[in-house]
Amino acid sequence: MSTEQKQKILIVDDSELNRAILADMLDDEYEIIEAEDGLQGVGLLQQRGSEISLVLLDIVMPQMDGFGVLEVMAQNHWIEDIPVIMISAETGSSHIERAYELGVTDFISRPFDALIVHRRVVNTIMLYAKQKRLANMVADQIYENEQRSSLLIDILSHIVEFRNGESGLHVLNVRTLTELMLNHLVQKTERYQLSPSDISMICTASALHDIGKISIDEKILNKPGRFTDEEFAVMKTHSMAGAEMLENLPIHQDDPLVKVAYDICRWHHERWDGRGYPDGLLGDEIPIAAQIVALADVYDALTSKRCYKDSFSHEKAVDMILAGQCGAFNPLLLDCLRELSPDLPALMSGSNSVAQRDRREMRNVAQEIRRHEELTASERTLQLLEHERMKYSFFADMSKEIQFEFTVSPPMITLSNWGAEHLGLSEIIMDPFHQPDTMNVIDPADTQNLSDALRSTSPDLPVVTYDCKLNYKGAWRWTQIVARATWSSDEPPRYTGAIGKAIDIHDSRMKLNALERMASHDALTGLLNHAYAKKRILERIETRPTASYALVIFDLDHFKSANDTYGHSFGDQVLVHLAEKLRQCIRGGDIAARVGGDEFLIFLEYKDDVDAVLSRIFQSLCGRFEQFPLSVSMGAALTATVPGGYDALFHAADAALYTVKRGGRGQYRFYDESMRDTLSVISPIEDGQDPGEDVLK
Amino acid sequence: MTLQECYAAMGGNYDDAIGRLRSERLVQKFVLKFLSDGSYELLCRSLEEKNYEEAFRAAHTIKGVCQNLSIDKLQASSSRLCESLRNGYTPESDALAEEVRADYSQTAAAIEAFQKESAG
Repeated sequence: MSTEQKQKILIVDDSELNRAILADMLDDEYEIIEAEDGLQGVGLLQQRGSEISLVLLDIVMPQMDGFGVLEVMAQNHWIEDIPVIMISAETGSSHIERAYELGVTDFISRPFDALIVHRRVVNTIMLYAKQKRLANMVADQIYENEQRSSLLIDILSHIVEFRNGESGLHVLNVRTLTELMLNHLVQKTERYQLSPSDISMICTASALHDIGKISIDEKILNKPGRFTDEEFAVMKTHSMAGAEMLENLPIHQDDPLVKVAYDICRWHHERWDGRGYPDGLLGDEIPIAAQIVALADVYDALTSKRCYKDSFSHEKAVDMILAGQCGAFNPLLLDCLRELSPDLPALMSGSNSVAQRDRREMRNVAQEIRRHEELTASERTLQLLEHERMKYSFFADMSKEIQFEFTVSPPMITLSNWGAEHLGLSEIIMDPFHQPDTMNVIDPADTQNLSDALRSTSPDLPVVTYDCKLNYKGAWRWTQIVARATWSSDEPPRYTGAIGKAIDIHDSRMKLNALERMASHDALTGLLNHAYAKKRILERIETRPTASYALVIFDLDHFKSANDTYGHSFGDQVLVHLAEKLRQCIRGGDIAARVGGDEFLIFLEYKDDVDAVLSRIFQSLCGRFEQFPLSVSMGAALTATVPGGYDALFHAADAALYTVKRGGRGQYRFYDESMRDTLSVISPIEDGQDPGEDVLK
Repeated sequence: MTLQECYAAMGGNYDDAIGRLRSERLVQKFVLKFLSDGSYELLCRSLEEKNYEEAFRAAHTIKGVCQNLSIDKLQASSSRLCESLRNGYTPESDALAEEVRADYSQTAAAIEAFQKESAG
């Protein structure tokens, strides 16, 4: 390769002098990257990946020793692509043995000879490069072979179609629908035990379903009108004829693809109810591959124009199949068709165009390869990967966000440069859950919640948003973490870690909290306002509907005269004082609010003696503020005696308060039925009005 | 003082170093760099703080550097100290540390003398 850059060698050694000696021997031909301990070495491997052509590794180092590095490299399968030469003063055979067991390519003991180090490095890199080139060649060849055999099948089935006068897309459509149905079916049920490679084989084999038609007279095949009974009998032989052609193949009879194709050819005109041909198989006696191809065949026949019929719309075709007008099918498959139906037209046309695009792209790649003879597809992938890596790290640095990547095995967090700086952590953290400085950044409960949330995602819905506080070098700030769980492509998928970013939302969150507080609290007394108190009360009742609650409303007696005599600012001081007394005499769980003017509300839960509770509160509120005597009138309603929810409760307490006002003030009363028709306190009471009944309980 | 005389003064093997590293220029470059390597200071500090794990690593590094440069005398004593600390503190490591200190001083003195003359 003419445009090749210098290959990169990573030297991991804790002594600068040792690194310098090695670097000096090699830096004419290679680009040298240095790491001063194992942890840094692992970090660089994580960042640069297969850019690195070789690692020279010391054993005894702080943070993580050479064996630790090898273990991480083995866990991540890096050791398979990146050769490691160990250089150490440790010459004990147990060390050397362990190093080889962990996958090092070579072991050089100190003191080393410059010529030998140089030669071994060059040899190892050459050997690996050759191996990689061979692996690429094999991969490219396999790819090419697969392309070639599917091309052959396409040609063969096209010949059959051509003879049938079918549209050139029939085989492709049947294959696409077969694939869609199979994928849907395995999601729905495990009844048929189909692996991804079974599915791909059935799809390929589906192209051959009608090869038997080659043996049918063209005059019958392309007859525009209805068949006579005799003609139909001839036509029916095509399924068995196709199967026999495959059975009589001189070679490959035992190939699994041929066996599946045989099933499909022979039985793609069987019916679920046993009334099909040629064998009259019933239900699941018909292989599932043949059942699905049969359905796909019927669907495509209905939606395409043929010499004997026009095409039906997708909806009509599905309706006809589901209604049993075109044969009898496995109810499970009909369910699949019904469920796929809304997306089917888009999926079918989409996949056709994907196939066409694929072909176009393949041609482009092929031309590309011809132009740069030495540039194979696999190397191109590597270059694209490196380009992506460069792009990613550039944007990560620009974005001023905390970006992170977490892997479960080995447990490791990689932070963006900016993020690490702002959290006061290093960019690469091994075993983060046991690092005190890392665990200081986030509350353990949040770590647990976040981990649980990520693990309970799925490959289809992998994104989690989580708000919590993070410690930015001593300052705890509200932060939104948006993370995407990464899942392996195994079946079932394994949780392998997460990528994501953390956004500082502290300021907007604080602003929101202040606004919420302003909206929910009375500015003068700092108590809740009526609307918000109501919301809290409703929540309380909803969480524990069976508990006993009391709603109490009270107001200050003769408050108007306090305002009139001493002025409004004195009146405000009285209210603030009363609110403070109120706060002191209620319990933590009780709700206190200013309803308006000099009216207040208390909502409390009680066990048995509610009268004692109320009496205590009543006594504590009475007293004196400067020259003004504090006297309150109080009405209470209990959920035990007043059904009908908050409004009824509030109205009843209001009525009880009104009754107290009429009865001479300075007392408290519980609501009872006699107060049903009383007025509200909201309408002011005239002084000197007749007191009602005796209000003392 | 020539590099060869410097090697003699510090108890090293000049021929071996040249044989392995293949050039006088390289050997001279790294011998001069030897004094700025922090491992000796780290060793002394770790021993003082009784951090024997760190002291083991520092002695190990000195041994490795000496091996590379064929500074045999200091390599031998640092290697003995290293082994005595491999599994933590042992009673003989105090005496071995003294030996390393003496050998290091001898090595440092030789290199400083060489440095002065080659600079002057």
